[in-house]
Amino acid sequence: MRRVILGTAGFLALALFILLPLAQVIQLSFLATLPHDEVAKGSLTLLNYINIFRTERLAASLFNSTVYVSLNVALSIAVALPAAYAFSRYRFRGDRIAFFALLAFRVTPPVVLSLPVFLLFAKADLLNTPIGVALVHCVFNVPIAIWILESFISGVPREFDETAFLDGHSTTGFILRRLVPVIAPGIGAAAFFCFMFSWVEVVFARTLTITDGKPITSAISSLFGFRTDIGLVMAMTVLSLIPGLVMIWFVRNHISRGFTIRV
Amino acid sequence: MQRDDNRAWVFVLPAMLVLAFVGVIPLVINAWHSLFDIFTLDQKFWVGGEWYAEILGSTRFYESLGRSLGFSTAVICVQFPLGLAIALMMPKSGLMRSLCLVLLAIPLMVPWNMIPTIWLSLINPDSGYLGRLMVWLGIGFDYKFTALHTWILLVAMDTWHWVGLVAILSCSGLSGISSSYYQAAAIDQATRWQVFRHIELPKLGGVLTMALLLRFMDSFMIYTEAFGINAGGPGTATAFLSLDLGEDIKAFNYGPAAARSVIYFAISLVIVWTFWRALNRQRDAAAAEQA
Repeated sequence: MRRVILGTAGFLALALFILLPLAQVIQLSFLATLPHDEVAKGSLTLLNYINIFRTERLAASLFNSTVYVSLNVALSIAVALPAAYAFSRYRFRGDRIAFFALLAFRVTPPVVLSLPVFLLFAKADLLNTPIGVALVHCVFNVPIAIWILESFISGVPREFDETAFLDGHSTTGFILRRLVPVIAPGIGAAAFFCFMFSWVEVVFARTLTITDGKPITSAISSLFGFRTDIGLVMAMTVLSLIPGLVMIWFVRNHISRGFTIRV
Repeated sequence: MQRDDNRAWVFVLPAMLVLAFVGVIPLVINAWHSLFDIFTLDQKFWVGGEWYAEILGSTRFYESLGRSLGFSTAVICVQFPLGLAIALMMPKSGLMRSLCLVLLAIPLMVPWNMIPTIWLSLINPDSGYLGRLMVWLGIGFDYKFTALHTWILLVAMDTWHWVGLVAILSCSGLSGISSSYYQAAAIDQATRWQVFRHIELPKLGGVLTMALLLRFMDSFMIYTEAFGINAGGPGTATAFLSLDLGEDIKAFNYGPAAARSVIYFAISLVIVWTFWRALNRQRDAAAAEQA
């Protein structure tokens, strides 16, 4: 009984701590924080949401972010899957050093890389396109994806591979046709974490899109000025949360299972 | 069991090529530029190690390093006990578990530049929930000019943002513990604390080390969120390492910015090296246990 009460109290405290700032965001997003023609300042309104879709660059930024995040998730999983398989099943010369390199890339701060990446991408004609942002976000997402997929693959017994090889599958064929369905939850979890880190990243996304292809984060920053319409900013924040919430709901059972780490 | 086969490199190659393009080449460009005084990219003058000497000889660098270390320490001291406690108290299955997980993951989805804005609105004394509550309670909270208050705000904000990651990772570690361990503990009439100390904590070692590395580095190099709160102020009270670098970049000091980047990367390498050694020790211990 005491445990139940303690548990409920703990849950309520946690919910309050996490939801209070969000409640503030939602409240402000429905408030006219600046005087507009249609509504008086301080009244409840849907105007902020309507204004997002009236403002072309805001609506476009939602699209841009979705494009580069999807590209990044696809690319990260595609290159991480074979690598994770190799790390899980084989010992090879330099495997620990390679793992060390992955860790090092994951933690290299974006602000350290932003300037040279800008120069490099200017040369390679990758500025102002979603492809550039998708590519540079691989620097932290590929290591994460490899780490998660590796632990899920290691949960599959080795005999599973052997049987497939006896059936005449090549390694590539085995990974694509047999392993992928089995570790689908792991792919979901990896996709979730890649999505998350790419969606919220600011420094790279902003540096690499000067004139075109601006992501949500830049669009939000550009709203700040002499007279900031904070209601509009908050409405934009609410919209930016929705894709993430949908993602969380789909992978909720997978993000907390399975990845016990094996180095 | 793992097999020895160097052909496995073929599978690792695509990932390494991508990382070489977006990771290694930029780092090399940085290292090269750090040796020049750069006016434009076509007009640069060799200065050798001058920028390094300047940065490493300034007291500002060591003060920022100290502040960043202090911030990481504070963040870890708050988020790890809290995250672990949440993971331990979370229901093992059912709808409540799903709800908890979704709840914990929501702050992770907020674009980083919005996080300071959200918290500043929350503590706004005129319109913010927390701000009005503090006015009502008679608490004067002045994050703009009182260093301690800025720090409290930063740590609270960062905890809100990231405690979910620590909790989710701990959860996944806990769900990997076989129930036979708990049964054995129940037979031995172990207390809750003993179960945690002798079963759960050791089994969580790997995941926690990883979570620690992620949280340490991300808070050590915090930029967007910290800048949004008070831009390093009051004075230099929250001027962390990455804010100094951001200043150099914004002022178009390419040479010093490149040198600073190289120094920061070197610091990251040392830290990762330490964690990597710890992870390897755990792996060897696990292998020895199995043999």
